[in-house]
Amino acid sequence: MLCVQDCTITRNSRSLIHALNFTVSAGEVLTLMGPSGAGKSTFLSWIIGALPAEFTVTGELWLNQQRRDTLPTERRNIGILFQDALLFDHLNVGQNLAMAIPAAVKSREQRQHCVEQALENAQLAGFSRRDPATLSGGERARISVLRALLAKPEALLLDEPFSRLDQTLREQFRQFVWQQVEQQAIPVVLVTHDPQDIPPDGQIITL
Amino acid sequence: MSLRFLAWFAVGCVFAPLLPGLLMMAKPALMPEIWQALWADNQWSGALLATLNSTVISVAGSLVLCLVLFCGLWPGARWRRYAAQLPLLLALPHVAFASGFLFLFADNGWLTRLCGISFHLDEYGMGLGILLALKESWFLLWIASTQLNYQTLSQQLTVARSLGYGPLQCRIRVLVPSLLPRLKWALLAVVAYSLSVVDVSIILGPNNPPTLAVLAWQWLNDADPQRVAMGMLTSLLLVGLLGCFIVLGWILWRVFRRAVGRFSGQRHLLNIQPLASSLGLVMTATCIAALAMLVIWSMAEGWFYPAILPDGWAFSGWQAAELSPLGTTLLLALASSFTGLLVIILWLEGGNPRFDLWLALPLFLPALPLVAGQYRMLLILQQDGGWPGVIWSHLLWVVPYMLLVARPAWQQIDPRLVITARTFGWSSWKIVCLVKLPLLARPLLAALAVGFSVSIAQYLPTLYAGAGRFTTVTTQTVALSSGGDPQQQAIQALLQMLLPFIMFIITLQVGRLLGRFRQGLR
Repeated sequence: MLCVQDCTITRNSRSLIHALNFTVSAGEVLTLMGPSGAGKSTFLSWIIGALPAEFTVTGELWLNQQRRDTLPTERRNIGILFQDALLFDHLNVGQNLAMAIPAAVKSREQRQHCVEQALENAQLAGFSRRDPATLSGGERARISVLRALLAKPEALLLDEPFSRLDQTLREQFRQFVWQQVEQQAIPVVLVTHDPQDIPPDGQIITL
Repeated sequence: MSLRFLAWFAVGCVFAPLLPGLLMMAKPALMPEIWQALWADNQWSGALLATLNSTVISVAGSLVLCLVLFCGLWPGARWRRYAAQLPLLLALPHVAFASGFLFLFADNGWLTRLCGISFHLDEYGMGLGILLALKESWFLLWIASTQLNYQTLSQQLTVARSLGYGPLQCRIRVLVPSLLPRLKWALLAVVAYSLSVVDVSIILGPNNPPTLAVLAWQWLNDADPQRVAMGMLTSLLLVGLLGCFIVLGWILWRVFRRAVGRFSGQRHLLNIQPLASSLGLVMTATCIAALAMLVIWSMAEGWFYPAILPDGWAFSGWQAAELSPLGTTLLLALASSFTGLLVIILWLEGGNPRFDLWLALPLFLPALPLVAGQYRMLLILQQDGGWPGVIWSHLLWVVPYMLLVARPAWQQIDPRLVITARTFGWSSWKIVCLVKLPLLARPLLAALAVGFSVSIAQYLPTLYAGAGRFTTVTTQTVALSSGGDPQQQAIQALLQMLLPFIMFIITLQVGRLLGRFRQGLR
C-alpha cells in the first residue's frame, strides 16, 4: 500500500501541490490528471527522490508500513517509467534487463534465464543481444517496462509513458503495461493529461 | 575570385608547406646508423622512461581526477559551481602555472619552507606529470561539461537509482560509459601534448636525462648533422608513442565496456561526493596558491630560504622588468590572431566542414615534429628569423583552435536568412559581410580571444621559426627558470597570464557593446 500524507511542494514560495493526500492499495492504479505545469512530474520526482533542490516539500511518503521519503532513491524500492524508454545505449537489451535483477538471483545462468523469460513473456524472445538503438519505439517502451519490473519494485510510477507513441501503438502498449502490472500486484501511480490513458475502475485525482 | 578557391588557398598556405618538411623529417628513419646511434646513446633510455612516466601520470591522472569530480558532483548545484570556475582555470597558461607550481613545490619552495617536506619533483618526471594531470583535468572536465545531454542522462541516472544502484555505482555504470567516448579526442590531445611538451618540461621536468621531447629539441639545435638526424628520429618516435597510447587506450576501453555490461546484481550505496568536493577544493586551492606565489615573488624584496615570507615588499622588480618581450608577444599574438580570423572566415564560408578534423590535426599530434618540419621549410624558403615566418608558424595551432570555437555558431546560422538575402540579388561576398559576420560577431570575437591566447602560449614555434631572435613573455619565462632570478621569472609569468586575460575582457566588452543596440545578438 502506497500512502501520501499531506504533501505540499513549493518553489520560490509559490505552491505547486497543496496538501495532497491519497492511498493506493496493491494492484490498484491511481491517475493524476492536470494541465502541463500543474506539478504532476514534480510530484513524481518527489516520490522517487529526485526532486531538484529549488523545491521545498513537506509531507510524508509511506510504502508497505515503511516511511520512504527520507531514504535516497536507491533504497526506496520504487520503479519509474518516463516518457522516453531511457534504455542504456552502451548495453545490449539483455544487459539492460540483467542490470535490474536483484542480487538474490546469484548464478549467471539463473540471471540469463530470468532475462530470457521476461523477453519471452513480452513476445520479444531472441532480443537479448540486440542493440537498443536498432529497436522500434514500441519495442523500446516494452523493454523499459520489463526492466522496471525485473527489479521487483514495491510500487511503480508512470510519468506519461504513453505520450511518445503513435495512436495504434499507444493502445497496444497500454494493454501491455496493465497486463504486466496486474501480474505484480503493486500500487501504481500514473501521471497523464490524456483521459484515454486512465485504466478502468481506478482512482482519479485532478490537480 | 571564387570563395571556395580562396578558402582552400588560405588553408593551404597554413598547412601545405608542412608536408615536405615532415617528409624530410622521415628520412633519418631509413638510416640504420641513426637508429644505432640512438640505441647507443646513454641518455636516450632514461629520457624515454621520464617521458613514459610523465605521460602516464598526466593522462591517467587527469582522467581519474576528471571522473572522480564528475562522478561525485554531477548533476547538481555543486557541479554547476565547479563548472563555473573552469574557464578561468583553463585560461591560465601552462608556463605561468608551472612557474607558480615550481615556487610552491620545489626543493626550496614555499611548502618546503612551511612544513619541511621535500617533494623531489624532478625525479622521473613526477612533478611534470602531476602538473599536467592537474591542468589537463580541468580541460577534460570542461569538455565533459559541454558534451553531455543533461536531460536524458539525469533521467537515466534516476532510472538506475530506482533499480537500487547507489550514487557512485550508477555513475560508473551509466555516466562514465557515455562520457568516455565523448572525451576521446580531448584525451588524444592530452596524450599528444604530454608527450611532446618542451616548455613546461624545462621548468619542471628532470634534467639529466631530460624528457624525450627536450632531448630531441636539444639535438635538433646541435651543429652536428648526426645529432640533428637523431633529433628528427626521436621526434618521429614521439608520433609512434602516440600510436602505442592510442592502441593501449582502445584495449582498456574494450575491457571496461565488457566489465560494465556484466551485472552480478550487487548494489553498493557508496557516495564519493565528499571526496570529490574536497578534491575539487584542493585543486582550486593549488591553482590559487601557485598564482599567489607568482604575485608575492614579483614584489618580494629579499626572500631567502627558509623564510616563509619576504623581508620586505617593493615594486623595484617591476620597474626593472624587461618590457620588450611584452611588445613582441603582443604584436605576434595580434598579427596571428587577426590573420587566423581571416583564414577561418574564408574556410567557414568556402571550405567543407567534412575536412575540419584534418585542420584540427595539429591539436592531436605531438608539436615537436610539426615545428621541426615547419623550420625545415622556412630554412629552404630563407624565411626563418622573420616576422612572417613566426606568424605563419603560430597559425598552425591558432587556426584549429579558432575553428573549434567558431564552427558551432557558424553551423547555427538560420539558412532562411541567407536565402532571404539571396533573393535580394546579393553576392555571397555581400551576404558574408552584411549578414553572417554581424550575426556572428560574438562567437568570432571569442574565437579571436582564443587565437590570441594560443599564440601567446607558443614556445617551440617562436624559438624555431624565429631562429632565436624573437623573445616573448613565454620564451623569457622559460629561459629565466634555469637562471637564478625567480623575481623576474614571476613577473614574466604574470605578464604571460595577464595578456590573454585582458584580451578576453576586451572582446567580452566589445561583444556587450554590440548586444546593447541589438538584443538578438546577445
